[in-house]
Amino acid sequence: MKKYKTNQTRSKSLPFEEVGGTLKKMKRKTNINRPEIKSEEISKGKNFDSVLKKQGTLTKPLFKKTWFLSSVVIATVAVITAIALLTNNPENDHAVTKPAISINADNSVLAEFYKKEEAKPTINLPLEGVNIPYKIYKVIAEKGASLDFKTGSKMVIPKNAFVDENGKLLKGEVELRYREFHDAVDFFVAGIPMTYDSAGQRYHFESAGMMEMLAFQNDKPVNVAPEKSINIELASNYKGTEYNLYKLDTVKNNWLCLGKDKVVAKAEKTGAAPSLSNQLNRVQETAEYKTIETKKVIVQKEKEVKIASLPKLSPEPKKPEEAKKDKYTFNIDVNPKEYPELAVYKGVLFEVGTENKNFTSSMYDETWEEAIIKDGTKKGENYLLTLKKDAKKYDIVVYPVFEGKNYEKAVNDFKAKFSKYNVALEKRKTDEIKFEEEYQSKLLALQKQQAELELKWKEAEANQFKLMSTDEKVKRMFAVNSFGVYNCDKPSLYPKGVSCLANLTNENDSKLMCYDVFLVDRAKNGLFSYTKNPITQFSFDPKSTNLLWTVDNGVLYWLKPEQFTAIKNSEELSNLKMNRVDQKFKTADEIKQFFNF
Amino acid sequence: MIEASKYHLTKTDIVNEQGLIDAAKKDPKDFAVLYEAYYEQIFRYIYQRLDNKEHAFDATQQVFLKAMDNLHKYEYRGVPFASWLYRIAFSELNNLFRQQKAQRTVNIDSVSVYSIIGELEETKIDLYHDKIVSIISEQLEEDQLQLIEMRFFEKRSFKEMAEILDITENNAKVKTYRVLDILKKSLK
Repeated sequence: MKKYKTNQTRSKSLPFEEVGGTLKKMKRKTNINRPEIKSEEISKGKNFDSVLKKQGTLTKPLFKKTWFLSSVVIATVAVITAIALLTNNPENDHAVTKPAISINADNSVLAEFYKKEEAKPTINLPLEGVNIPYKIYKVIAEKGASLDFKTGSKMVIPKNAFVDENGKLLKGEVELRYREFHDAVDFFVAGIPMTYDSAGQRYHFESAGMMEMLAFQNDKPVNVAPEKSINIELASNYKGTEYNLYKLDTVKNNWLCLGKDKVVAKAEKTGAAPSLSNQLNRVQETAEYKTIETKKVIVQKEKEVKIASLPKLSPEPKKPEEAKKDKYTFNIDVNPKEYPELAVYKGVLFEVGTENKNFTSSMYDETWEEAIIKDGTKKGENYLLTLKKDAKKYDIVVYPVFEGKNYEKAVNDFKAKFSKYNVALEKRKTDEIKFEEEYQSKLLALQKQQAELELKWKEAEANQFKLMSTDEKVKRMFAVNSFGVYNCDKPSLYPKGVSCLANLTNENDSKLMCYDVFLVDRAKNGLFSYTKNPITQFSFDPKSTNLLWTVDNGVLYWLKPEQFTAIKNSEELSNLKMNRVDQKFKTADEIKQFFNF
Repeated sequence: MIEASKYHLTKTDIVNEQGLIDAAKKDPKDFAVLYEAYYEQIFRYIYQRLDNKEHAFDATQQVFLKAMDNLHKYEYRGVPFASWLYRIAFSELNNLFRQQKAQRTVNIDSVSVYSIIGELEETKIDLYHDKIVSIISEQLEEDQLQLIEMRFFEKRSFKEMAEILDITENNAKVKTYRVLDILKKSLK
């Protein structure tokens, strides 16, 4: 034995001391590789008789002696009673002592109960009359079968795949019983154990899907022929590749890991998120969207009709121009119906414009046989004067002008008319703006409806895609060569966050007599199980939606998700008041509905 | 080298054990079965922390005496009965040290030190051996030393440590890894 020198100066205090729950360091001796003491030598030190003789002889401090404590209790009770009698407060008559919660049931009863629970078979139905039913299929053994299930799963059984218990190849009809389990309620009602012991560590399964298949001929179980295997394509809500394939070993009460399954997308091409343009195209095809589109056209027409029904505005009066002395002018009678803008003025003349480069004074001096006036290059501003005589014909651009008093009068007329015109124009503009605003308001409302519809559609598609990407679209493929329960799972540990010592009670604060207690964390597709009440290390993730349930004497009790918020981290015993479920369930779906799954 | 802990019991064992405890509560003579079953475990736990064998035998007897005297107070908590005995043993050792009737001893085996070095992901085994021994025996606080003793010298699982120390398994794990961190930093 090697002696190791320690630092003797480090601690001069008492060797071992508890201070406020923590231990104080003390002077230590260190031995390196001290020879191990053998069991035989230890056994020599055993002396139970000595312990038995000394039992009850241990000295206790005065305050710990039974007689001392009894005396104190009696004295205290006497004092309290005296005070109560003396004060004689009538209100005290109504005081009710809350019954103490009994945490410890009679141990022998409990031990017997646990013994019975542990003796139950691996697959044990917790609720009487509720189970996941089997679908029955008839398969001709020598032909095999390809079975498509409503769940989307598929099973391919090769020819001559069944043998009897003696290994003899079977012919004829074989009854195949098949069922699937996809969520915590399925696992629970079917009594499928969801724990997995590996190298002494207990894990809890998170499942990507589970199925059970059994086969019988004449009510006798049959086996898969040694050289054959049955291919399974299990429709799964989870596409992760972290799951393993397990088979339930009902003898060892544990799962047997068979390796990895193969994950195949059901429709890989649709796995991509829908593009925005595709989403718009699809929403535009809906009747709701098209109705709004029609309404948009209607409100636009309404606006146009209203504007059209407004009083017509007379043409804008033109400011009269005074004739220039150095310019040639023609005096032409015009049809007032054709040119109302000219008819409003009297004494209008037509002045030859500077753009007429070919115009000569001789043209002005000639007496023309015909003069026709038409709209010019700038409507309402200039005109085209056509002069004809024999074979001669000239087109001249002319401008309306006035001379002398006619000009003054025309200016005055213009001012009056322009003022009237402006009033009418303003009114029309106001009316048009009003109609436009009404239209825009209606259009905006309709566009808003459409936008909401697009958003709704987009969200629905996004959710759909999310569901498709996480919950759908995969088949977990594997081959089996025996019948039983197969599970695509990943082992996980209890959720973490809040932990306590949980004592489950009923509505009367009485401890529940239960064995298996199940925690469901809605973020995980599993069933975390605890055994016995109280649960010594109950833990859950407070950020998740959680449910806890158990069965006491055939009655389901559960803790609602909202009740988890009141549970705090504690090393002390916490009472969890469970809710009794009086509803009688017949199917797993009814339970799912109850638990809002 | 010390064997891995024999503390673990199956569910059935724990239930059966409860029957034995109930019987011992009614008749102290029936405690003999529990004494027989746990004597060695408790002795080894005590002797691991002591230098003197005789002191360890005396302390072990005292633990069982106290257990018998207080058995009526024992409450079934779903964990092995041993965890209750370990707590009495812990208290008994505490009394011995407080009264200076025995000296706190750190019994270290080199193989365990190597496994600590491995846990620290260090490769210089020979270089660090003495350093680790020195840190464990001189520098660690008592509660830190306990965790190292239980985990590495007594080869206990975190679950078992948690039940003995009356803390959560996670807490036992976290605390142990904190001590390993301290060791690692001390090596630098």
